[in-house]
Amino acid sequence: MKKLIGALFSIALALAVALPAAAATKGGKLVYARYADSLLLDPVFNDANVDIWILTNLYDTLFLPTDDGKDVQPGLATAYQASDDGMSYTITLRQGVKFADGTPMTADDVKWSLDRAANPKNGIWGFLLASVDSVAVSAPDTITIKLKQPDPVLIKALATFNAAILPMKAYEAAAGATDEEKAKTFAEHPIGTGPFKFVSWERNVTMKLVRNENYWRKDAAGQQLPYLDEIDFVTIPDDATRILKLQAGEVDGAEFIPYARVAELKADPNLDMQLWPSTKVNYLTLNVRPTFKDGSKNPMSDGRVRQAMNYAIDKDALIKIVTFDVAKPMTSFMSSSTPYVSGNGPAFPFDQAKAKALLADAGFADGLDVTCLALAGSADETAILSTVQQMWSQVGIRLKIEQVDNPTRTAKYRAGDFQMRVAGWTDDIADPNEIVSYFAYSPNIESLHSGWEDKKVNGLFEASMKEMDAGKRQAQYKEIQDIYMAAPPIIPLYESPYPVAFRKSVKGFVQIPLGNNIFVGASVEK
Amino acid sequence: MPVSLRYVVLRLLQIVPTFILIMVVMFVLVRLLPGDPTSALLGERATDEAVARINAQLGLDKPIPVQFVIFLENFFRGDLGDSIVNKTSVLGLVLNRLPVTLFLTALASLLSVAMAVPLAFVAALRHGSAADSIIRSAFQVGLSTPVFYLGILLLTLFAAHLRWFPVGGYGETLADKLYHLFLPALTLALSLSAVLMRNLRNSIVEVLQAEYVDFARAKGLKARIVLGKHVLRNAVIPTVTLLGLNIGTLLGGAVITETVFAVPGAGRLMIEAIFGRDYPVILGLTMALALLVSLVFLVTDLVQAALDPRVSA
Repeated sequence: MKKLIGALFSIALALAVALPAAAATKGGKLVYARYADSLLLDPVFNDANVDIWILTNLYDTLFLPTDDGKDVQPGLATAYQASDDGMSYTITLRQGVKFADGTPMTADDVKWSLDRAANPKNGIWGFLLASVDSVAVSAPDTITIKLKQPDPVLIKALATFNAAILPMKAYEAAAGATDEEKAKTFAEHPIGTGPFKFVSWERNVTMKLVRNENYWRKDAAGQQLPYLDEIDFVTIPDDATRILKLQAGEVDGAEFIPYARVAELKADPNLDMQLWPSTKVNYLTLNVRPTFKDGSKNPMSDGRVRQAMNYAIDKDALIKIVTFDVAKPMTSFMSSSTPYVSGNGPAFPFDQAKAKALLADAGFADGLDVTCLALAGSADETAILSTVQQMWSQVGIRLKIEQVDNPTRTAKYRAGDFQMRVAGWTDDIADPNEIVSYFAYSPNIESLHSGWEDKKVNGLFEASMKEMDAGKRQAQYKEIQDIYMAAPPIIPLYESPYPVAFRKSVKGFVQIPLGNNIFVGASVEK
Repeated sequence: MPVSLRYVVLRLLQIVPTFILIMVVMFVLVRLLPGDPTSALLGERATDEAVARINAQLGLDKPIPVQFVIFLENFFRGDLGDSIVNKTSVLGLVLNRLPVTLFLTALASLLSVAMAVPLAFVAALRHGSAADSIIRSAFQVGLSTPVFYLGILLLTLFAAHLRWFPVGGYGETLADKLYHLFLPALTLALSLSAVLMRNLRNSIVEVLQAEYVDFARAKGLKARIVLGKHVLRNAVIPTVTLLGLNIGTLLGGAVITETVFAVPGAGRLMIEAIFGRDYPVILGLTMALALLVSLVFLVTDLVQAALDPRVSA
């Protein structure tokens, strides 16, 4: 079976990458307005989406995500073969790949990059490669990865940003005593095998990339990629200003269009308002412990109260009010773009009567009081909570809103010193293991610090980390979701797409559900 | 000229204890705020292990006095440390962003003065008349309109629609930067000039009634000289103080203006640093601003002393 997969991958190579075969104009510059600037252009030591989401333009991974983000295709590796016991993978590397500085990529670079990424002391993403025991160069075009346990997600992990391949020699030559310091120095002038080459970076103003003339990838018609000569990332933090710049034609694309402006931009004949499916979910996290930090009884420790809270919210109305109908309801705690998501229809359809009955059952016929932590100054959170407050008042739940700044909220949250909070999440890997480990697997972060613990779910998760049979694994994740959503320690609100707008002349931009902005196939047509 | 070198040196030396006090107080104060930079940075993905490990790497698990000693050691080597959020040197960040704010503040001050002074004169010379009321009301609009709204308004009209100016951002060459900063400077100047204009107008009205002005006129001096040398020079004294104080505030960073116009200034850097508990940046920027503001106040006092013979320095 594994040999067959390996063979299929070789065939996939011949078909090259899945890109539009329609002839795209080569050349041109694209100016893209971002809401915030990158912080550290290093795959291993970064800790923010602002870095992750553009790293794929500078660096490649052994396997690349497909455009729908759910699967992988060949990248710097052309084929792989797993041993029968699943404990060892032999990966064939693509030949003739050069880094942006012209030096050839070797198996040593690959081994070094993966060792660095898998080291738990380096940055916060090591857990994605936790199953890796050793990486060895077995031939100039082959590396062998030995695992500590079978890992059904290894190949997907090798398609995730932190497993990008860096030039070992250039990196080690960078100034700095520790690995972290070297990472900072190297990241000021990063060198990768990606479609674009780094040119310059004026922090918070502009970052310039140009075409990597040595790039290995060709489109379906055989034309070398990327199409663009140059990309300019500019930082425009204010939403209104960013859109004004796009409408004036000073930038060709703008990310994070506010929900309230989506309809307006859709109607603009000069613009292409794109809504990309995402793994972004918005929810309210509940504290489910028997008492709060101050010792007072916690009504939400009763599952019926939590269910009532869910039933009492008209999610469709909330989506209309807060997101102007741009977002969608959720069937589970995971987004519909996360593999193995389950659930029949929207979770907890609006039912005020049921909510009241559940509350009465739990002994709260007279209602209850609860306080929610909100991010001060966040228009979205204010909109969500005032809507929820209004809806809950109909069933006797009196919601108080406490606005705090981000670090204060994070401190209270991590200490379990909160009643409720508004929260959001995007996946970093195209697999449900990450979201489950944070949301439902209590040994990690006490299930989003809610204090929720289900031993069955914990057992299922641990088993799923080693389960090689896709069918069985899917069943495990279904059961986890069933148990979780019956509890539930959160109130899923909606999943929202990535709203990006471009001038009509821009084609071929892709944003995968994980968030990565992919410009390799982008072009500017006359 | 009643400004002595001794006075200047004394004032400069006075900055030192202020500076040290600010350094110590801020160092301790930011660490007492709830939350820490690492968990704020990692957000939803923070695990206890990762936060503890990274805080240890940053030296944040050490007792505060120990951290302060380490900070001092680096400080005397000219190293302000690295930004926890931006992962780049604090000194580099400050040197990058502070000049932008300085530039914006200088431009805004110049524009305010250019708008305030002539119109203050017109209003004062015709005080009580319709012209006076119109001028004062017009400036009142600028003063009472929220900066955010004013900025977006100017941006939409003059940049997006008329294309006279770029839609926010910061240029590359000096001339380009001036061009980009004009609208944000104007936004700030519209409220600052209102404050200056009112103050100057009232001051001129008062001075015009003074005996020495009647005397100057009686001597037969030309109006230009009476107004320029006698009236303005005296009337402007309180306004100079006001301008100095406002420059000090502007240097703290016009955050909203910087955000709306996408100007990479120190104001935004400070707010982001506070929201991210980026201790080294908060400290480094505060110290730089303390220095700058002290210098601005010193210059203000010197100018005042130069204008007003009653003040000796």
